[in-house]
Amino acid sequence: MATDTAVSNAPQISFEEFCRKTFDPKGEFAKPEALKGIRVLSCTQYILGPSCASYLAELGAEVIKIEAPRRGEAMRHTTPFNEPFLYPLSKHVPERGTGLGFVGANCNEYFVAIDFHRPEGQNLVKKLAAKSDVFVENYRPGTFDRWTLGYRQLSAINPRLIYQWLGGFGGWGPGRVRASYDILGQSQGGNFGMTGKAEFQGGSPAKHTIWLADYWGGMMGAVQILAALYYRDKISGEGTFMEYSQVHGVTRQLEYALPLYGRHGITRERWGTWDTQLCVHGIIKCGKSSYPNSENPQENEEGYILVSAYSDEDFARLCKTIGDGNFATKYAKADDRVKAQAQMEIYPALEKWAADKTKEDVANILDKANINNQPVWNSKEVATNPHWQQRGSVRWIDDPYYGDLLHQGPGYKLSATPPRTKWALKPVGADNEYILGKLAGLSPTDIKRLEDQECI
Amino acid sequence: MLLTCPSCKTKNFLDPYPFWNFKGTTQCAGCKKIWRLETSNGTCVSAPAEASGKADLLPGFAETQAYEGISGPGLTRPAPKAQKESVCKPKAIKRNVRGNVIAGYPLTKNDLVGSLAKFMVAGAK
Amino acid sequence: MSSDKVTPWPAVPIPKPEEVYAGLSDQAKDYPLYLESICRQSHAFEKPEALSRLRVYDTSTRMMIGHWCSSLLAELGAEVIQVEPPGGDPMRKLTPFGRKEYMFTDKESGEAVGAHFLHEMRNKMSITLNLETEEGREIFKKMAVHTDVIIENDPPGHRDSLGIGYRQLKELNPRLIYCWVGQLGQWGPHKDKPGMLDPTAQAACGFCHGTGDPKEFGGTPMRSALWMCDHVGGTQAAMGILTALYYREVVSGEGQFVEATAAEAVIRILDYSWAWYGMDGSIRPRFGNWDLAINIYAVNPCKDGYMMVGGGHDRLWYRIWRVVGDEYPAVEDDILGDPHLREVADRLAMNQQIKTYTMLGEWLKDNSRSEAERKLSKQQVASGGVLYVNEVAEYPHFKYRGHVAETESPHYGKILYGTTPFQQKETPARLKWMGRPTGYDNQDTYRRLLGFTTEDFTRLQKANVI
Repeated sequence: MATDTAVSNAPQISFEEFCRKTFDPKGEFAKPEALKGIRVLSCTQYILGPSCASYLAELGAEVIKIEAPRRGEAMRHTTPFNEPFLYPLSKHVPERGTGLGFVGANCNEYFVAIDFHRPEGQNLVKKLAAKSDVFVENYRPGTFDRWTLGYRQLSAINPRLIYQWLGGFGGWGPGRVRASYDILGQSQGGNFGMTGKAEFQGGSPAKHTIWLADYWGGMMGAVQILAALYYRDKISGEGTFMEYSQVHGVTRQLEYALPLYGRHGITRERWGTWDTQLCVHGIIKCGKSSYPNSENPQENEEGYILVSAYSDEDFARLCKTIGDGNFATKYAKADDRVKAQAQMEIYPALEKWAADKTKEDVANILDKANINNQPVWNSKEVATNPHWQQRGSVRWIDDPYYGDLLHQGPGYKLSATPPRTKWALKPVGADNEYILGKLAGLSPTDIKRLEDQECI
Repeated sequence: MLLTCPSCKTKNFLDPYPFWNFKGTTQCAGCKKIWRLETSNGTCVSAPAEASGKADLLPGFAETQAYEGISGPGLTRPAPKAQKESVCKPKAIKRNVRGNVIAGYPLTKNDLVGSLAKFMVAGAK
Repeated sequence: MSSDKVTPWPAVPIPKPEEVYAGLSDQAKDYPLYLESICRQSHAFEKPEALSRLRVYDTSTRMMIGHWCSSLLAELGAEVIQVEPPGGDPMRKLTPFGRKEYMFTDKESGEAVGAHFLHEMRNKMSITLNLETEEGREIFKKMAVHTDVIIENDPPGHRDSLGIGYRQLKELNPRLIYCWVGQLGQWGPHKDKPGMLDPTAQAACGFCHGTGDPKEFGGTPMRSALWMCDHVGGTQAAMGILTALYYREVVSGEGQFVEATAAEAVIRILDYSWAWYGMDGSIRPRFGNWDLAINIYAVNPCKDGYMMVGGGHDRLWYRIWRVVGDEYPAVEDDILGDPHLREVADRLAMNQQIKTYTMLGEWLKDNSRSEAERKLSKQQVASGGVLYVNEVAEYPHFKYRGHVAETESPHYGKILYGTTPFQQKETPARLKWMGRPTGYDNQDTYRRLLGFTTEDFTRLQKANVI
């Protein structure tokens, strides 16, 4: 068969080497981009809408971010502890900067400023929309319709336009007027109430630290856009309107919670850092810090590690490793081990064993016993880890505006058309001349006038 | 809950998560008097009573009636920090963690070419 | 099978359109009714499916990332065939705390399946094939020419060593889109080991260290209750597959190799963590249910649970305190008089957040989630309580829009589930069925793809190949 000759003729290269060469982030720019020539207008703010468009920008789409003149969108003004900013915010406001809350949600894009409220601004958006493939917005439902920039008006100008609205609760139904943010999506969608330490562990519901409902919601929107692009270009030739409610997305990911509630009336509760379906498969505390002399409180706190030995064989080896013969017989069977009471006995025993160790000590011992484990790494440990650096998951980029910047890489890899990171962001309106000259026919004089009027 | 010290009127901020359901002692960050209190669902069950000994849990933050902040070791609980000190104000960052140039500090119009800092145009080193 | 004691869903009837839009002018009704007319899921079956020409073999087992990815494709219309080892994917047996009574039982065969697996078996067919046998692999190679997408999650290099990896199958089918999914990757110093599952990725990407209460507040690192990184990683995998599909159809005519990991997907969305470390060496701390970059933007305890209130900029900030001031004028006066709280940026300091939320707590302690939401929404402030699953299932807005719905399975009876959020005008996603017993589609699939005969089935079953 063809496959046999192919294999025997293949160069003798290990599978790992093959993968390393195929997915090498250094080779990204030698390969084509999947969405070359696709133009996306991103009339978005905060994270949900912006991130959706930026995933398409990673794939090579020409994404044009449109935001309010001068100060830009709200997310530019958020940064952790109000400390780090990237300057200038815009050429008009060089003494202020863009906060790091903006980073990650707007990479590779072109930045144009347009005031949506003014007819002159609305006409500019229409000129751009006539030449675009995708339109992403996340203002309150109906706002763009009122500005004559909604799906009904834009699809009349450009029937091939794929219009993606993203937001909290959706534009119809009893809660349609409600504003939303990521953390509200988490709260009301259901994953917030299940996450965190249980009552008996002394805890409360806990939020996912990332803006999960936003960033992952934007990703779901991008999935839907890619499917719609395929359908348009391969089958129908026509655009569509799409609605993504982030709270709906969260409810979609509740695993067994809804079937269990529907059938048995049981409400899924919090279970801390352990797992409800597998044991041992939980995060335990190690008594010692890995960096006891560090001045950074994030480093000198105790270590934590995920211990994963849920199969009977692995659990037996784990019991041997920690020297507990009692558990080995009492909880030899997975079904017995995973019961709540058993978990409440097993994990404290593991923590007792780990009380005089660092997370690296525990990892070394478990590695030798061939037991899966994963130390809980902080952001520095992740950023400086050779694994993530080699894979380009976290990478230094030579940003044209801001210099030597550490940035997340794309979240997945493709052999022929890899997504890539080109730049992190730009100041507000930095591409006014390029984009509005190219697509709306504005002369430098027009642009100067509109900038002076703060229309762009 | 807000504990206005009966003795010195310092506003002690007993932050909601640890103090929502609490039984024990805390210490006024202004006059260091120890107060025994019991809360249930965020509400004081009984008025704070003067006590002695070491406080079970310090306030998160406190301030005087004139809005002067009071915090520090022995007065309030330490705040979570991303490094040794948090200034909680915009920092001027000219070199990044590996010593390279980064546009992390306020500029003036004279520093710019278009929207770009001159030192970036010149080739940051 | 449903217990007699359980109230059927919905306990409270789903609101009707005339109730939802009562008292609104025609103009105010116009836009929401238009959206409803083009997006309602009940119209889905009147419309085509976006991916109906796509065939996918999901050959992943034991973990959620692959199943999540193929679920999304199946909701969008792809024909997804779940390829399981004989006896079924071991994930079928997972059930919370090992409780067999929580599993769903097939009416005919009596086979039980855990609700977690079932919830992600939507629109998928199930066939069995033993890839650990020579004959199974030969069958798999023959099947490979009939598909557009293969998803797998075996330990790195395992399929390659069996002769059925990407390198071999692309020779048989150059249009094949081959997707490997896992926790940490197929290559690199920490590549996947057999048996690795979420939350491995959660711990390895920096998520756990930054989630949960700070140590100073008695907290520890926390994991998501969900296999959350698998969901995000599976979504990235679906993006990779659809990108490869688009490029194949529009440009190249050829497939490609996709790799998606649960950890990298979340590294991608760990917002400012990396830029922050890179700029000044900061390590992202845990901050509980508050936010490092926005105030007010947090969940705090209230009279009957936990309440989210959000208002990052000035307009909302003053509206929130006006609402509080209606009941506690002294609190509003104190906040408005505080010189440290006048600038948006100044409010971010940890001490100011402690003050803000302590003062807000004075009001929240007297207000339940629904009372607080009602009062705040009058001022157009985004707010809402932390809902538990029973409340999510009964929430009127979700019921009306069908975020939660009940389906009747021919195998398992009625199942309450979270519906697809892919709502759209032309090619909406949908649920066709929820789950199949192990190998239910063997006959149909092997006959139509490979021309199997009754004799083949008997022999291969005996040899534990299917």
